[in-house]
Amino acid sequence: MPNQNSPTRYSAVAQGFHWIIAALIVTQFTLGWTAQFLPLGARKVARLDWHKSFGMTILTLAVLRLLWRLFNRPPELPAGMTPIERTLARATHVLFYALLFVMPLTGWMMSSAKNYSVSWFHQFTWPNLIGPNEQAFNLLRIVHDTLSWLLFALALLHILAALKHHFWNKDDVLKRMLPFTKTEKRS
Amino acid sequence: MKKLALAVTSTLVIAAATAAADGSVASFTAAAEQSRLEFVGVQAGAEFKGVFHKFTASVEFAPDALAGSRIDVQIDMNSVDSKDKDRDTTMRDKDVFDVSHNPTAHYLTKTITKTATGFAAVGALTLRGVTKDVPIEFQFAPAGGGAKLSGSAKLNRLDFGVGQGEWKSTETIGDAVKINFSLVLKPKS
Repeated sequence: MPNQNSPTRYSAVAQGFHWIIAALIVTQFTLGWTAQFLPLGARKVARLDWHKSFGMTILTLAVLRLLWRLFNRPPELPAGMTPIERTLARATHVLFYALLFVMPLTGWMMSSAKNYSVSWFHQFTWPNLIGPNEQAFNLLRIVHDTLSWLLFALALLHILAALKHHFWNKDDVLKRMLPFTKTEKRS
Repeated sequence: MKKLALAVTSTLVIAAATAAADGSVASFTAAAEQSRLEFVGVQAGAEFKGVFHKFTASVEFAPDALAGSRIDVQIDMNSVDSKDKDRDTTMRDKDVFDVSHNPTAHYLTKTITKTATGFAAVGALTLRGVTKDVPIEFQFAPAGGGAKLSGSAKLNRLDFGVGQGEWKSTETIGDAVKINFSLVLKPKS
């Protein structure tokens, strides 16, 4: 049953959301962080153009993913986890979901504040969220940049935790999110 | 018979009076505060709007004397405002408007014709040192002693060399630029 959440594995849909968004976030870091060091010019505009189109893609996927998540329970955490580990895992995931919205939204607002409307791969233009405002842009930029570091730290924690579960605890936490692997039914 | 002659005569008199009015145009200048000159460009696939805050327009116009009518606009390119300092600075630079060498743009109509919805004109636009014909469409509505002249135009920025070097690419900045204008005209004193 690839399209339904089984108790031990994430469904194909959940895995699809996870890995596609993960790949897009890696792309976003590459584009966003390198664009900062480019001088004001056509190359910077072009790079941020991609960054914005991918960002709006992530925002759209985030809406769909959250809706999916609301109606589909993920597999349970392994039984042996301590309360602190459970809280940490939950907090990480809640923050991830929050950032999936907040990062694109602050980016979108930055573009609006600078009067650079956001295009989606030159197919259509998203409406501006706020009017031109230099002070708002400067503030939003700080928020967007700072949160990118938080997202980076969270991703690091998330990856290390997954590896720790796999190699140290030897449980199925990593495998159940991996396509083309099998997870044994928990008794 | 006498009545008919009178009618013909009076018709001729009226026609003569109209003919006298034809050919005389009213002179106006645009009131800077209420007038607006806007451009719409495409950057990274999305439209952006900017205005030129400083420009002067001198208009000689009468709907029934188009041959003697003309619109003459001088634009201070330094007054460009796209609601973003970085972009405005870039536009003033030598690769785009090159305002240090070309501080003003000039538009002067050559011919004005009547259309179904208003008027059309072809005029010479001098921008960044290049002069080319640009057609415009506009409406003219008398208001009080003055008038309102509003309309639009389309041009290709690269025809005028607006965008050199890295700004030549139309992938980043579109070639087509829309112009919208709305002039509040006061009688020239």
